[in-house]
Amino acid sequence: MKARAASVLVGCLALLLAAVLVGPQLRGAEGHFIIWQLRVPRVLVGVLVGATLGLVGAVFQALFQNPLATSDTVGTTAGATLGALFALSLDSSKTVQGLPLVTVCAFAGALGASLLVASLASSKRAHSSDVLLAGIAVTLATSALASGIQYIADSRALFAATQWSLGQLPQVGYRGVLLLAPICGVACLLLLLLTRPLQAFALGEELAHSQGVNVPRLRLFALGLGSLGVAACVAWCGPVAFVGLIVPHLVRRLLGSGYRVLLPMSMCVGAALLVGCDLFARSIVPGRELPVGIVTAALGAPALVLLVARGRRT
Amino acid sequence: MTPLEYRDLSVQIGERTLLDGLSLHVPPGDFVALIGPNGAGKTTLLKTALALRAPSKGSVLLGGKPALELPARVRAEKIAWLPQHLRADEPVTCLESVAAARFRFHEGHAASLKVAESALARVAASALAARPITELSGGERQRIAFACLIAQDADILLFDEPANHLDPAQQLEVYRLLGELWREGHTVVCINHDVNLLHQVGDGARVRVVGLGKGRIGFDTKLTDGALPRQLGELFGLEMESLKGSAQRFIVPRHRSSP
Repeated sequence: MKARAASVLVGCLALLLAAVLVGPQLRGAEGHFIIWQLRVPRVLVGVLVGATLGLVGAVFQALFQNPLATSDTVGTTAGATLGALFALSLDSSKTVQGLPLVTVCAFAGALGASLLVASLASSKRAHSSDVLLAGIAVTLATSALASGIQYIADSRALFAATQWSLGQLPQVGYRGVLLLAPICGVACLLLLLLTRPLQAFALGEELAHSQGVNVPRLRLFALGLGSLGVAACVAWCGPVAFVGLIVPHLVRRLLGSGYRVLLPMSMCVGAALLVGCDLFARSIVPGRELPVGIVTAALGAPALVLLVARGRRT
Repeated sequence: MTPLEYRDLSVQIGERTLLDGLSLHVPPGDFVALIGPNGAGKTTLLKTALALRAPSKGSVLLGGKPALELPARVRAEKIAWLPQHLRADEPVTCLESVAAARFRFHEGHAASLKVAESALARVAASALAARPITELSGGERQRIAFACLIAQDADILLFDEPANHLDPAQQLEVYRLLGELWREGHTVVCINHDVNLLHQVGDGARVRVVGLGKGRIGFDTKLTDGALPRQLGELFGLEMESLKGSAQRFIVPRHRSSP
């Protein structure tokens, strides 16, 4: 078991290294710039976003006791999309405190939508299935609002919104890293501290309650922290599909699923998977880059089907 | 040690009355077997003590305090539960599942694992330790649930039909274990459908059989009491017969003649 975890870790690290090194023009000042100002920050952001999406996916699947739950089950992506559309329909070049208005609005939208769901979840009477339904309701409502904005927005804003919604990692310099690192770092660290109650949750919500877990409080913490981390990621990179859904399933297949393994390893595998997909996205078509969101979705969907089909052993 | 007391407890959901002004006192060290027709409110009675369901009227007291007002960890120290169904969708190993039942203790993972190992040994399930809980048979899963209960180490143990869906050998084993835990000093409240299995617990003169019908207590007698067959008959609307076995008395329903 430990050997397997170690080999998965080594594989993840090798992938990260490859993502920095693969590609032309590595010599001189230009090469220096490409490596340190383009590739390294891009990989770092990929690591932060991938790790957060992977971990939050695993936590939400445990929390909702539903293998289809993901980091945007509670309406995070829908809220972010609404925020981004709103900003783009106003003026795409505006900034707030040096940050693009799109990022700020997407963050606010994502956090608003998911905290609305989280506050419902913390009510003592709510069951996990109620929270799931609330998430779906909030997603539908925000999507309707977004469609309304799309209907009245001009074509330039629509094009920009489509671009944003594909999910991309490219960036120059370390601003994204500095923005995401504290938010994602704190959210992930605190989520990892919930390993023990989440493990008790695995045998059922009511049994966990009888074993001493304060269920409403656990739900509020996990949803709040998870939403915060994901909101930051979505705001900076746009929605990246499938990572939060597929990573926990992948880790379960590779390493089994005590939460003490599942949660940290979902972070590592999530980081490596996103960076790997991004490497693929920027190398597959010569001279052009694909948005990584397209690659994760294109690879993720069949991979998930395969995992589920082969995973049915009992 | 924690006494469990139901005081004039009523539970209603919408128009339906699940429990109707019920009072029952379970002092520390008692063994109470709850018996009654389906829908009599047996499971509800257990769930109110676990603060999983709120009383509409009256109260459930754990050590003199309302169960709903206790902090989750404190409650878990006083009362534990073996549910009718153990949810097992996530392929966690049995050892980790049992270790998770130690949640109420402020201890490291290594300490939890150690207790979990000895709990698994108690239920003769050490061989299952590394198996995912999703791959177990019904009897094996019930052993793991027992191990969880042992690991949680609460004063009062609640069992919801612990022998459900088990073969006769496993049923006897479950009730033998129940008796063992009782003699160690735990208070036991156990829902069951077959009074004859209760003899496996041992010390029948101290086993209380409490009949529950339509949300009220019908009777509260000892397992060895001569009135039990008649009381059971009235509770289920059947004629009961007492048969003498080699070691115990069996109470069985008399077959209705077919029309």
